This record gives sequence, C-alpha cells and structure tokens, in this order.
Amino acid sequence: MSGIRQVDRRGSSTPVRGGDRVGAGRLAVLGVAGAIGLSVVLAACNPAASRPEAGSTGSSTAASGSSTGPFTKQPNGSLRISGFNPSDEVGKSRSDYAASQSAGVKVSQDTTNFDPQKFTAQVASGNVPDLIQADRAIIATLADKKLVMPLDQCYSVWGVKPTEQYYPAAIDDLTYQGKVYGIPQFFQASIIIGNDTVLGQHGLKVSDLDTSDPEGLVKAAATMTKKQGNKLTTEGFEGDIPGSAALWLKVFGGGMYDKDGKPTLDTPENEKALTFMKQLSDAQGGYATIKSFKDAQDVFGDNNAYVANQVGAQVWAQWYVNVLTNTKDKVKISGQVIKDNQGKPLGFAGGSAFAIPSKAKNPSAACAWAVNATSTKAWDAAAQARLQTVKEKKGLFTGLFTGSPVADQQIRSAYVKPTGNAGFDQTIETTYAALENTVSTGSSPVGQQASNALSNAVQSALTGSASPSAALKRAQSTAMEAWAQSAAGKGK
Amino acid sequence: MSTTAKRRRRETYQWREAVAGYLFILPWLIGLAVFTVLSMGWSLRLSFQHYDLATATGTSAGLDNYRQLVGNPRVATALGNTFTYALMAVPVDICFALLLAMLLSHQRRFTGPFRVIYYLPKMTPPVATAAVFLLLLNGQYGAINRFLGWFGVDGPTWLVDPHWVKVSIVIMTLWAVGGTTVILLAALQNVPRELYESAQVDGANGLAQFLRITVPMISPTLFFLVITNTIGALQVFDQAYLLFYRDGNAAAPDAALFYGVYLYQQAFQQFNFGLAAAMSWLLFAILMVITAVQLKLGNRFVHYEGGNR
Repeated sequence: MSGIRQVDRRGSSTPVRGGDRVGAGRLAVLGVAGAIGLSVVLAACNPAASRPEAGSTGSSTAASGSSTGPFTKQPNGSLRISGFNPSDEVGKSRSDYAASQSAGVKVSQDTTNFDPQKFTAQVASGNVPDLIQADRAIIATLADKKLVMPLDQCYSVWGVKPTEQYYPAAIDDLTYQGKVYGIPQFFQASIIIGNDTVLGQHGLKVSDLDTSDPEGLVKAAATMTKKQGNKLTTEGFEGDIPGSAALWLKVFGGGMYDKDGKPTLDTPENEKALTFMKQLSDAQGGYATIKSFKDAQDVFGDNNAYVANQVGAQVWAQWYVNVLTNTKDKVKISGQVIKDNQGKPLGFAGGSAFAIPSKAKNPSAACAWAVNATSTKAWDAAAQARLQTVKEKKGLFTGLFTGSPVADQQIRSAYVKPTGNAGFDQTIETTYAALENTVSTGSSPVGQQASNALSNAVQSALTGSASPSAALKRAQSTAMEAWAQSAAGKGK
Repeated sequence: MSTTAKRRRRETYQWREAVAGYLFILPWLIGLAVFTVLSMGWSLRLSFQHYDLATATGTSAGLDNYRQLVGNPRVATALGNTFTYALMAVPVDICFALLLAMLLSHQRRFTGPFRVIYYLPKMTPPVATAAVFLLLLNGQYGAINRFLGWFGVDGPTWLVDPHWVKVSIVIMTLWAVGGTTVILLAALQNVPRELYESAQVDGANGLAQFLRITVPMISPTLFFLVITNTIGALQVFDQAYLLFYRDGNAAAPDAALFYGVYLYQQAFQQFNFGLAAAMSWLLFAILMVITAVQLKLGNRFVHYEGGNR
C-alpha cells in the first residue's frame, strides 16, 4: 500500500520536510542549537563567507560595474547544482541540453532535495552551490534574507523576457520587491479529474462539478459519497484540502498575500472559502474520516482510487494524469477546469524554480545552465525523450507541462496527438484549457509560515476546533508575527 | 634502589600513563571541544543576537529573543505539548521495558535470539518506523484499530484527533524500547539470586519479591533511565516531525506542535537563528532544573548497595 507516500497534489516539490535529514538519526533539540552554533563558528572561521566572492568570471564582471551584473554569456569554470535530480528522461535530457550549451563548464550535481538546514550550513561556511532548485514558495523568503540574488540581469544577458518565456503567474511567484529571484520550471495546473464510473453511477458528469457553484458541488459530493458503517468507501469529491487550500481561496476571490507579500489570510473572501471547505468536508464524513481514508489509498499503484472507485472526482495537478496512464485500461476519467466564483477558469499551480545563492562562486554558469535547462529547446528535447519512453512502455503521452507557455504550445502542436482514449484526451485538453488563465499564489517573505498558518487554520476549522473566522484570524496573527520578523516587515 | 628513586620511577610511570591516557582520549576531547562546547558557546552568544546569515554578522539583541519567547503563545503551546508527551512517554516506556526485561531475564532457552529481536527495532531508522506506524495508526484501516475492533472498541483517528496525537507518538516510541530493555535486563541480572532465595524461604510471594527486592536493587538504573528518558522525551523531534509534518500539513496542528519542531521551524524555515538559539537555551535551562529536581528527590528513593550517595 502506498498511501504513506508523500504526495503534493499541486505538483510542488517539498520545501522543508526533512525526511532525509531526520532519517539520518534523531535530531535532538540541543543538536539543533549545536548546528546553529556550528554554522556560525564555520562562518567565523571562514573570512570568505562574509566578503564578496572573487575569482569567478561573474564576480569580476560584477566588480567592473557592468550593467549585466555578475552575469556573462560566456561562462567557464565549475558549476555546482543542488536540488535538481535528473533521474527521469525529462530531467536528464534538459540537464544534458543545458550542459551542452555551456561546454566549458564542469557541472557537478547534488541531487538530493533542497534542504534549508544543509543550505544554512553551506552559506555559513561560504561553500554554497552555484545554483539551487527549491519550491517557489520559499524563494521570496530566501530573497528577503538576501540569500539569493535577483536574476533580472541574468534574464537580460540571455535576452529572455521572463513574463513572455515563462508563465506570468510563475514569475509573479518569484518576484519580490520588484525583482525576479528565480527561474520557474514547471507549471502543472490543478484540474478536477473525474472518475466516470462513479460519476455515471449517480447520473453525473464531470462538468456537473462546477467550482463556481459551491452549493451544487457540495451536493454532488454528498451524493457520490458512500459509507459502510462509519467508514468511507467512496469519497464523492476530494478537494485536496488542506493541500490546495490556497487554490480554494482563489476560487472564492481571496488570496494569501497583498501585492507586497504581506499576509491577508482573514479576509471575508477567505472566510467564505474556508466555510465552503468545511461544508464539503462535513458532507462527506468529516475531516478525520476523510484524512484516514486518503492516507490508506494506493496513490501510485495498480489499485489507485480511480481503479478502486474510492473517489468520484479529485483535484490533482496535471502530473497525476500521467500516473493514471499506468492503469489506463482500468479507469474511465474525464477532466474539468477549476473556475473562480465568476465562472472563469483558473490555472493555479505550485512548483519549483532555480535560484542563484548570493554567495555563488559562478553565477554566470548558474544563470546559463538554468536559462538553457528551461529553454524551449530543452523542453523540446525533454518531450522527445518522454515520447520515446511512452512508446517503449506502450503508454499514453499526456503532454509535458512546463513553466513556459512557448514550450507548452510547441510541444502540444508537435507531439500531443489523440491517444485513442477519449477520456484521457479530454482530460489533456482540459489541462491546456486551465493554462489560459494562470493565477499566482503571490510571493511573500513569509510564504512558508503563511502556508503553514493557513493549513493549520483549515484543519482547525475542519475538525471543528475553531470557526472559520476564528481560525483565519489566528492564522493571520501567526503569519503577521513572522512578517514582523522579516526584512520587509521591518521596512528594510 | 633508594626510596626516593623508587618514588621517582613510580611518578614517571604514572605521568607517562596519564599522558598516554590523555593522548588516547584526545581525538574525543577535540571533538567535544569543537563540536559541542564551542558550538554551544556560539549558540549562547547567538541567542543574544539578531543574526544575518547572508553577511554572517550578528547585531546585539540584548534580551529581545528571550522576551519574544515569553510573549509567544506558540512557545507555550509547544512546551505544554512536549511536557504532556514526556509525562506519558517516560513512565510508559520504562514500565514496558521493565516488563520485557523481566520476561527476558526469566527466559532460559534462546535468550540470545530473543534479546536480538527485542533490540532490533531500536536499530530501525525512524523514517522506516514512521512509515510503518502511519499505516498501523490509520484511523480507518490501521491494524491497531482493527485489533481494537475485535473487542468492539471503535478506535480513534490517532493521527488526526488532537486528543490522541501524543498517545500515538508514545505508541511509536514503545517500538524502540529495546535500548531501555537491555539496560534494565543488565540491572536485573545483577540482582543477587540469594536475596530471592531468602525471600522465598521467608514466604514472600512474587509481587513482594518484586517490590521489596527487584525494584530497590535496580533503583539506581531506574533513576538513571528516568533522567535520560526525560531529557530525550523533552527533545522529541523526529517521531513528531515524521508522523505529523512529513507533508507540511500537520493534521492536528496545535496538538502536534512540539518544542523541537517549533525550534526547527524558527531556525530553518524562518531563518531566525537568534530566536532558535534562545529556544535551545531555554530548553537547556528547563532540562537542567528538571534534572536537578530529579536528582534531589530521586536520591531519596534510590537504594545504593554501598550506602546513600
């Protein structure tokens, strides 16, 4: 049973989880104190840590006061990348393409997930990687602490207009105080994936699951929900709550931050959204029941929730369509875009991005590699590699949803053909339709704290330990405490 | 050889022996100095600073970080949760370990394999243990609730219901009780057999033997375990993190907020190193006080064969 696997339905990588780190052994609290102290000791013992970098192409350019900052188009030297794992054909082909475009650069990769604890030690010791891959939600926090550098000049050197090459929503997620701090990778919008078998049993179609009609959605969810005693056997509509709570705020016209990144969790729109989440949850047995039910599901296996008819419809990021292709003969699916309360489709997605640490020794090579790895040509190579794999495995090609609308359209027109499975084809089309109106989560120096606070509020409200209003007020207070600690909150 | 010469030779020998001893422990002493004492010293200094990781500089914060701890309700919540857990985990852990140790001490055949089996879970990585317990503790389909169901008991949603969150971690802690069991087993085996034989001659039953002989004779070990397990329980991190924060969404966010988890969040999610260091030192101070009280009170109940210490 694979229900225990860590799943983020929005397609985000996990910013701070620590599974690997914890796995290394028990982390005692005093060990953390020691780690913090040790990091500072390392910093003190390493004068290079506190002075501007020297010796790299980029740094020398920066010193000359060039308008391109530390970036040049002819990188050389060595490049250390952390957090990017080219283990599948998509990652490998992009990595290979990027490396081929920087022939004079020697690339080494730490393929483990971005770990803030490790990154802290690296920064303190002055031994940072040149390029990191991290969740977009954490980039503004790193920017606020001046741990990553703005990339406007990196884009400029390569003649890339960020909001044209990448989805504007993804760029918004990476923009902090007017500067862009990251290069987005994927934008895999969430959609509703309907299980036609269960929907059909109740005379419903996926198009009946309209998020702009919350009451109708709750009713449809309750209709499809089945219980045996006090145990769920089918959940009508899984809204990925609290994982996609930020999405539901958007559906109701709310959001997590204002334009400066200041948390705005306790707005009336957000309260409406949370009230809906609770109604949806209660209509299907309540949060505790649903959570236990979900935790026991075989998410990636041959007996997934669609095969086992454990769900009528679910909110998933696009990549789950790929997972379902493994059981294409056993499932009947269809897709529906998520709409806001005005009925307009919403393309909402988390995801990862590349960023360059402020103390990177070779920012030019890092910039070149990241721009090339997210270029249209790199994505084209990735799409071809994926097609090849799909052919070999006799699977279905469901498209490749990148952080670039240019690449997405090119891949769609060149490689996305009817699969012979009408349900999958309609779901793929739905995903492209969702991208017609992409919306940003917003960026904030307290992105992670605000997300945690929202998640806590949702769970408090869903379990009934606080009203939606009280839960959001408390979340806002918690997020504002973090905001007050940030440079932006201090007016810096 | 004169007495003076003999004494000098003896002193030289002793000095050489001492130097050799210190040389042997020198690597460990260097490790202790650099990785523990120096780091702790720096972290103490850090607790009085606002530390900027980007520039590797700290500016004096005075008592600001400590003041923030006092005014932060989440610190109080985290401390409350951690103490509640420790109050449950320490006695349950020791009692369960004692039960296992007594079973093992009475075992006459296959004692070696049994000891290995009991100790084996201690060697399992916490991540693997947590993965298993996520399934065992599942509210609907978990083995524990299925077992309870045989007796007509409708088990709780262990990992979601705030009332059962800490109990679920205690249950997970019991899985790794092997270390405590081995220590208690060694203590039990050091209890002289003659004491039990004399007690049997005097007509003492099993319970009386346990209360009057076993417990007093292993009380130094029990006392040691109470202290070390309390320290360990107040530092709980990995079980809580893996069971409740693995995907960033703690199902019972308030009930599962342990001090170690909150400290980690402050340090490595918010990069508030000064505040995190202050949290570490607050916990250190609390642990010192608790240990001092335990030592003061505990000595009254501990039986030392050589007399009271």
